[in-house]
Formats: sequence, structure tokens, C-alpha cells
Amino acid sequence: MRTPATRAAAALAAAVLTASGCGLAAPGTGGAGEGGPVDGPADGAITFQTWNLKAEYEDFFTGVIEEFERANPGAQVRWLDQPAEGYADKLSADAAAGTLPDVVNVAPDLVHPLAEAGMVLDLDEARPGAAGAYTADAWEGFTVPGRDGTYAYPWYLNTGPVFYNRALFEEAGLDPDSPPTTYDELFDQALEMAEATDGGTAMLGQTPGIIDLGLYGSQAMNEDGTRFTFNDAAGVEMVERYKELYDAGALVPESLTQDYTGAGEQFMSGAIAWAPGSAYDLENFRTNAPDLYKNVGITEVITNTGRAHMYLQGLAVSAKSEEPATAAAFAEFVTNAANQEAFAHEVQIFPSTKGSLDDPYFTEEDGTDEGRVRVAAAAQLESATSYTPVVFGDQMQNLLRDEIALAMRGDKSPQQALDDAVDRCNALLEEG
Amino acid sequence: MTALAPAVRRRAPRMQGAATPWLFLAPALAAAVAFSLYPFANTVLLAFTDARTLSPGTFTGTDNFVRMVEDHRFWLALRNGGLYVLGVVPPLVLLPLLLALLVRDKGPGVGVFRTLFYTPVIASAVVVGLIWTWLLDSRGLVNGTLQALGAISGPVPFLTDEYLLLASAMLVTVWKGLGYYMVIYLATLDRVPKELHEAAQVDGAGAVRRFLVVTLPAMRTTMALISVLSAVAAFRVFTEVFILSGDTAGPGGRDITLVMLIREVSSGLDGNVGYASALSLVLFALTLFLLLAVLRLQSGASAPGRAGAAGRGRR
Repeated sequence: MRTPATRAAAALAAAVLTASGCGLAAPGTGGAGEGGPVDGPADGAITFQTWNLKAEYEDFFTGVIEEFERANPGAQVRWLDQPAEGYADKLSADAAAGTLPDVVNVAPDLVHPLAEAGMVLDLDEARPGAAGAYTADAWEGFTVPGRDGTYAYPWYLNTGPVFYNRALFEEAGLDPDSPPTTYDELFDQALEMAEATDGGTAMLGQTPGIIDLGLYGSQAMNEDGTRFTFNDAAGVEMVERYKELYDAGALVPESLTQDYTGAGEQFMSGAIAWAPGSAYDLENFRTNAPDLYKNVGITEVITNTGRAHMYLQGLAVSAKSEEPATAAAFAEFVTNAANQEAFAHEVQIFPSTKGSLDDPYFTEEDGTDEGRVRVAAAAQLESATSYTPVVFGDQMQNLLRDEIALAMRGDKSPQQALDDAVDRCNALLEEG
Repeated sequence: MTALAPAVRRRAPRMQGAATPWLFLAPALAAAVAFSLYPFANTVLLAFTDARTLSPGTFTGTDNFVRMVEDHRFWLALRNGGLYVLGVVPPLVLLPLLLALLVRDKGPGVGVFRTLFYTPVIASAVVVGLIWTWLLDSRGLVNGTLQALGAISGPVPFLTDEYLLLASAMLVTVWKGLGYYMVIYLATLDRVPKELHEAAQVDGAGAVRRFLVVTLPAMRTTMALISVLSAVAAFRVFTEVFILSGDTAGPGGRDITLVMLIREVSSGLDGNVGYASALSLVLFALTLFLLLAVLRLQSGASAPGRAGAAGRGRR
């Protein structure tokens, strides 16, 4: 047999293959990523990717797409929808392979790495004048620190009331008609509840994350967005207060390892009494936790800053798009005032277009629970801001949760835990 | 083989003989090269770069490995992997053997038990993890029952204590693996010659004695195989810990395993592919080392083995 020769050939082949495709080669160029305005007729075929919207809103989006195709002869939109889980992984796989869909649903923290890698269009440059249609805050939401430009069209906004379980409040001897309105009241009542139920019912289900620290008055980053600063006095104070709550049983033990979803499930099962949510959770309670729905109380978000948190979704246009004009036109169409307002009637979200929130739909209660939540949330949006820096990615969120868990367990002091979290986040930021 | 080769060659034309095996092998080889060898070689290269998900990176020498030594989570992951191997391998080698002995003989109802023991194996790891999460939760069935019985005053932190969580995950791994290894043992048990058992019985050996001098020595190779398989699997544990800890790495990230670390470092749009590749290489080397160590341990034990000597003495 000619084993050695064959082996050598195989090794050579493998080496050649590896070198050619090992990822060290420059990423492909071409498409629209050259800068400058993007205009021209919207008559190409594009792909449009949403994030977990097909299951519930298929009819709505099919209608929007048909309308766009009718108005722009020749244009063809293929709609893709991705499940809620693993969306960032899906995006990164697409982006790395150079197959990012032409129009992509993103949140600010997702658009940041895409912008850094030059994968999405700078809309200030590509579509001058587009900004005028949206509120200034929303447009600002898709800027990236250290770079000029805006990298996605603002789409829908959300902000949440807080839900609480009236039955659990009553059981603990608390007044369900006057829920806490300040952090002091919340923490005191949480301690009372833990004592009254002998640790059986916890008020809270989650340790503070970056948003909670922000609402408490901590500054996540310095002015120019180059260093993290959430280990300031306010941040440390909040973690110290939570440590007290944890020791008293006012915070469920699972809070050390669970995220928003886990806490939400515990609220639905009646394990915790207080859960920040968003306006569309109410519908979820009605169908999945009817017992809770009967007892659910709704109140305003507690802040020390007077500004609630705002969640923001957007549509980015791939810089590698073969049909950038069609893609940009379609993204503008989906996010225009008429379509955003129509979408807001489908589901409890809020439009980011100028003037849309003045519609009586968002300003006048109609006697339903949903109406009440909607009007309250819309009012809250007036002053709301995003407390999550766009550079604060998944890894940073996880390490903050881990450091705070160590503080809760008493392995570190709150100050030490936050100092370490800041150091580790800064190290990731430098690498980034 | 060497004696046969010339004879074969004489009958078949040279070219035909040389090309045929390669043609048969080609599809499998192509798949292996495309999906195993090439990604592996790629990982080796990436381990020496600072590649990110969205940027190709540049050559950085051994930076990733230096970083690894300084990364406390890497050492935690190594510790947890080691603990997992120690905690999971002995029960997974011994318990399935006992189970196999229980259901070896065909009798009424035995088939049902065989099936029952095997069921966890075919159940999805995620589903199994979720079921155990509900059982072990601070308000779950186990804590609820214990509290109702007055055995404990507060809930046992199965899922929120660093070591209890790891132990709970080991329990799930063992519970889920029992049936699989039981089947391997069953296959080997059938091959133990009946005469040996009969001879031992005639010599006056009881059931325990026969298990020790007849069954156990005959199972040695299988036990070696199972220790290797379970040790490698234990070191690469992911699902059980991940699910039980609610998609995290336990309180404060203290229960992280190497595979979880690789996943966390590499995932997302800002994933550090270079560092993750370096971690993968280390995992590969450690797995290989574990494999060789266990094999060596087993071959060392069986070469001049005590049981072998006892067997000779008996005859």
C-alpha cells in the first residue's frame, strides 16, 4: 500500500483547505457597504427577519408585506422569523457567514457589534432625512458610542408597569390597595412579608441587574461611554439592601441563578409577589395563570430617577444587501407611523414615530385593564430612557449576575462584588 | 494479512485493487474531512488568534493560553469537571452491573423492568433536567415532602448551593445513564460461561462469592469500557448543570464546566472565538489524557490481576 504517500496527500489537502477557509481571510466585501446615500427604485427581492413575531402576528405582517409589494412593483419580500431563544447566536452565525438578511430586527445591544463590524448601514449617511419621522430619543437609541451615525430604524417601544399579587399581599398583612411607591417602602414591605409568612413568600424574584441599578440612581458608564461606573455609591447601596432581603428570605433563593423569564414564571405560580413586567404580560397572565389574573395588581415602576426604563426594538439594513434601496424603503415602510400605530393595536407595544403617542388610544382609558396599563405605560414613556448601555452584552449581563450572587451568598462584600464586576466588564470592553 | 496480500494482488489487476477501497471509503472520508478533520484543524489555528464572531482576528501566539491560566473560571471549570468524574464514574460502573444482575434472568415481568430502567436514557436530557428542576426546587416536590414530614425546617438548597447543585446534577447524570450501561452489561453477562458458575457452585461458593470470583472478573473489560465512556462524558458535562442551574452556571457561576465556559465565551455577536478555540483544545487534550489514564489503569490492574491468580488457584 502507498500509505505514507496517501497520508501526505491527505495532510496537504487538509492544510490547503484549512488555510483557505480558516477564518483568517478578510471577510467578503461588496454590496452596499461603501458609504454614501442609498437611493433608487425599490424593486428588488429582499429578506426580512423578525424576532419571534410569526406565531402571533402572521396576518398583520403578511398584510404589511403585501401592501409594500403592491406599492412598489417588482419588490419582493421574503419573511423569516426566528424563535425568541438564541436570537443573538442566530444573528452572529448569519453575520459571520455573510448571510445577514437584508432587513433585520435588532435591539440596541445587538446592533452595536454589527455596527462595529461594518455589517449594517449607517442610516444617517445612507438615508439622510429618514430621522425626521421618529422621536429624537428613539433615533438616538441606535447610535453607537465612539462612532458617528445611527444603525437601525427605531421600531416599537415598550415599558412596563409592575405587577403584584394582591392575594399574597393580603396574606402577609399588607394593604393591596397601597402598593409600595418608593424603594424604601418596597424593601420594608418585602421584609414584613418574609417575616409574616416565616420566609414562605418572597416579595422579589430577581437580583438587581443593570436596569435596576440604573433605576436606583447608579450611573452605568462614564460620560463618554468608555468605562463602567455602576460600582458607585447608589449601586453599592442597592446591592447592600438586596443582601438584607436575601438573608431575610424576602428574595427567593433561585434569584441567584434566574433571569427575567424564571422570575416571571415564579410570579405566575404565586411564589413571588412583585414582578416588573411589560404591557403585554397581562394577556399572558389571563391565558396561562387565570388564578393570578384575578388577583393581579398593577402599579407604577419604582425609580429614584423619575425616569422609567424603555425597551427599544429596531430594524437594521444589512450593509451587504444586494438591494439596499429596497431594503431601506421596506424598513422605513414597516416603521412608518401608520404601520407602527396599526401594530400597536395588535399588541401592547408603543410606536416610536413622532406624534403617534398623542393618539387618544394611548392617552384615554377605555375602561379595560389593558387600556389602563396602556395609558399608564404611554405616559411613562414620555420621560423613559434606556438604562442598558448598548455595549453591555450578554457576557457582561451574566458576569454581573454572578458577582451579585456572590455578594448575596456573603462570599464578597457588595462593594467588592460590584468593583469586580466593573473590572471584568471594562476588560471585556477593552477587548471588544 | 501480509501472507494474504500477494495472493490477492496476483488475482486482481493492480490499478483496480488500489482504487476500489478508496472509492468505497470516499463518501465517508469526505464527510469526516468536512465535518471533523477540517473543523478540528480550524480550531487549532483559531486558538492562536484573537478572532471574534464578526472579525477574522490576527495571530496572537500563546496569548489565549496565558489568559486561560489567569482566568479563575477556567480553574473552576477544571475543578468541577474533576469532581464530576469522581462523583459519577464509580456509581455508573457499579450500579448498572447490579441492575443488570437483577433483570438478567428472563422471568415474568422482567421485560417491564428492563424497559423502565432504560426509559431515562431515551428521554431528552432537557426534559429530564426540567423534571428534576421541579423536583428539587426550593418549593419543589422533594422539599415540599420533607417539610411536610417535618424532616427539615427550611428548604434544602439543592439548586442554589454550589456543591449541592453539582451533586444534584451528578444524581441526574447517574440516573439517566444507568439504563444505557445496564444494557452493555447485560450483553456481556450472557457471555459468561454457565460452566464457571456451576463449577463454583459445586465448590460451595455462595451467590456473593460467585459474583466476586466469576462474574466480576468476566466483566473487567466491560467495566473498563464503561469507566472510559462515563469519565469522558462526565468531564464534558453540560446539559444537566445548565438546566438545573436555570441556564446559568450556578450561584455566582461557581458550577461552571469547561463546555459551559466554551459556550459562554464563544456565543453571541461579540463571542471570543479565539479564546473559545484555545479552551476547546485544552478540553480535547484533557479528554485524551483521561482516556489514556483510565485505559492504563485498567490494563495495569488486569495484567497480573488478583482475580486471574485466584481463578488459576481454583482450578
